Amino acid sequence: MFLQRRARFAYFLVLPSLAVITLLDILPIIESVVVSLQNQNMGRSNPEAFVGFAHYSRALFEEPTFWTSLWKTVIWTAFSVAGAYLVALGLALLLNMDIWGRTLFRALFLVPWVIPDVATALLWKWLYGDEFGVINFLLTKVGIINKPVLWLSDPLMAMPAVVLVQIWKLYPVMFVVLLAALQNVPKELTESAVIDGAGVMQRFRFVTFPFIKATSIILTLLASIWTFQAFDIVYLLTGGGPAGATKILPTLVYDKAFWGLEMGYASAISLLMLLCLLVISVAYLTIYRTQGLQADEARA
Amino acid sequence: MTKQTLDRYRLSFTLLAVYCVLVAAVTVILFPIFWMASSSLKPAPELFARNLTMLPVAWTLENYRNVWEGTSFPIYFWNSFKVAALSTLLTVLISVYAAYAIARIRFRGRGAYGILLLVTQMFPHILLVNPLFIIIQRVGLLNTHAALIVAYTAFSLPFTIWMLRGFFEAIPQELEEAAAIDGASQITTFHKVILPLAGPGLAAVTMFGFIRGWNEFLFALVFLQSRDLFTLPIGLASFQEEYTFRWDLIMAGSGIITLPILFFFLLMQRFIVQGLLGGAVKG
Repeated sequence: MFLQRRARFAYFLVLPSLAVITLLDILPIIESVVVSLQNQNMGRSNPEAFVGFAHYSRALFEEPTFWTSLWKTVIWTAFSVAGAYLVALGLALLLNMDIWGRTLFRALFLVPWVIPDVATALLWKWLYGDEFGVINFLLTKVGIINKPVLWLSDPLMAMPAVVLVQIWKLYPVMFVVLLAALQNVPKELTESAVIDGAGVMQRFRFVTFPFIKATSIILTLLASIWTFQAFDIVYLLTGGGPAGATKILPTLVYDKAFWGLEMGYASAISLLMLLCLLVISVAYLTIYRTQGLQADEARA
Repeated sequence: MTKQTLDRYRLSFTLLAVYCVLVAAVTVILFPIFWMASSSLKPAPELFARNLTMLPVAWTLENYRNVWEGTSFPIYFWNSFKVAALSTLLTVLISVYAAYAIARIRFRGRGAYGILLLVTQMFPHILLVNPLFIIIQRVGLLNTHAALIVAYTAFSLPFTIWMLRGFFEAIPQELEEAAAIDGASQITTFHKVILPLAGPGLAAVTMFGFIRGWNEFLFALVFLQSRDLFTLPIGLASFQEEYTFRWDLIMAGSGIITLPILFFFLLMQRFIVQGLLGGAVKG
């Protein structure tokens, strides 16, 4: 009787969130599927006419745009996540010592995470400036370059430049979580490894890393999902340019939907994007599970 | 020299090296923000000088005044505050109850609900923005703040519920049982006994909701069309076309949008880190 009343109470508490999530997360996905099967090109008559998989076949077989964008997105994601992970891990290992001012350093390393995307993009654009950018100024002064690098308008430099900004934006969360995971490594283990004569690298590989492996896998998965769909930084820094050099999938979807006014086509591309995200997730979780099993076997 | 003193020397040397690396890392990582601050406090000609100086030669607040008095910035600021505050309020109200339910009550569908929260957290915003644009246009809410407030709430909820759940789970069950024995109703028990103990969790969630609403760019870009409704992120982004090469204004504007967030973050970073660890990646 009490349990029943308790369960009813729970439904009552959960209901508002369920309503909001259904209306603004689930319903749009359904709408998106419907739109992707319809004509939906502004300017054409009869926008709601059913066109089947026409938009999908256009994306997959008729135009190279989707595939080039997908490839760019993969590069953008892989380098951003790998870079951010390395920075985060390095800083977390450094701060995992009993040193004075740890909390302060932790807070300072987290700062880039709270800077609004717009401010991030604009201030980096200012740093990257051709003529008055401070990066070019400093590099020239030190003598590394003798004429300004066109960071954002050179098709070869644009991708590395936006990746660096994404690393700056992405590493803080990974850093905090890794730092917390490192605290779980028993002190006795590292100490006995030192006594056994293990070097720094060996200690990391055989003692520390096994403890943060699971966290690392989940973190890189989440970071990949965030970066794969990230829109703001690239849109504001390069708008996908120069000459499409940084046209990752999110900017492609935005362009098709709100500049090209091709809602159907854009929806089809964004659903294909979701499919890619699902593939990434499944792949990661499979690795996670098999690795987890191996670790358990090793322990047993 | 004995081995012990040698060890002590070695230790303090390592410590010194660690501090050097840490300070170097902080310098590199925070340099962009330092440069934004420094640029915003320079008179415009200094920004475009042949020889850049790290600190302003002639410090000035002129750029901030120009942005605040010469552009629509105060309107954007107020719009952003309104949208972020209202969506945060809604988010906290809704997620507090939902989080308590999944943390403490066993009910049918609890597992499915948890999965729903995890999955919706992963939906790309760029995927949601087209259909939401169509839906919102259909219900006549395009170009309103209401649309943004509801959307921000919906996107924060999965994460904030997940995060708060961790805080509720940490509160001892016995407290609740004692209150129940004393004859308090379920909802009273929650309001009077549990909620006051979840203070740090509420602080973290409030902060998250606000940061999200304050920083959000894509939906504001797509949903808002009238200038007088613009929030700070799109207002500032529009400076790029409106005031091209006015980096004095753009940097001061970036300073204004960043400052409140940075201030609250540094004030409450303990709770935020705690929330991040409890909610984002558990285990």
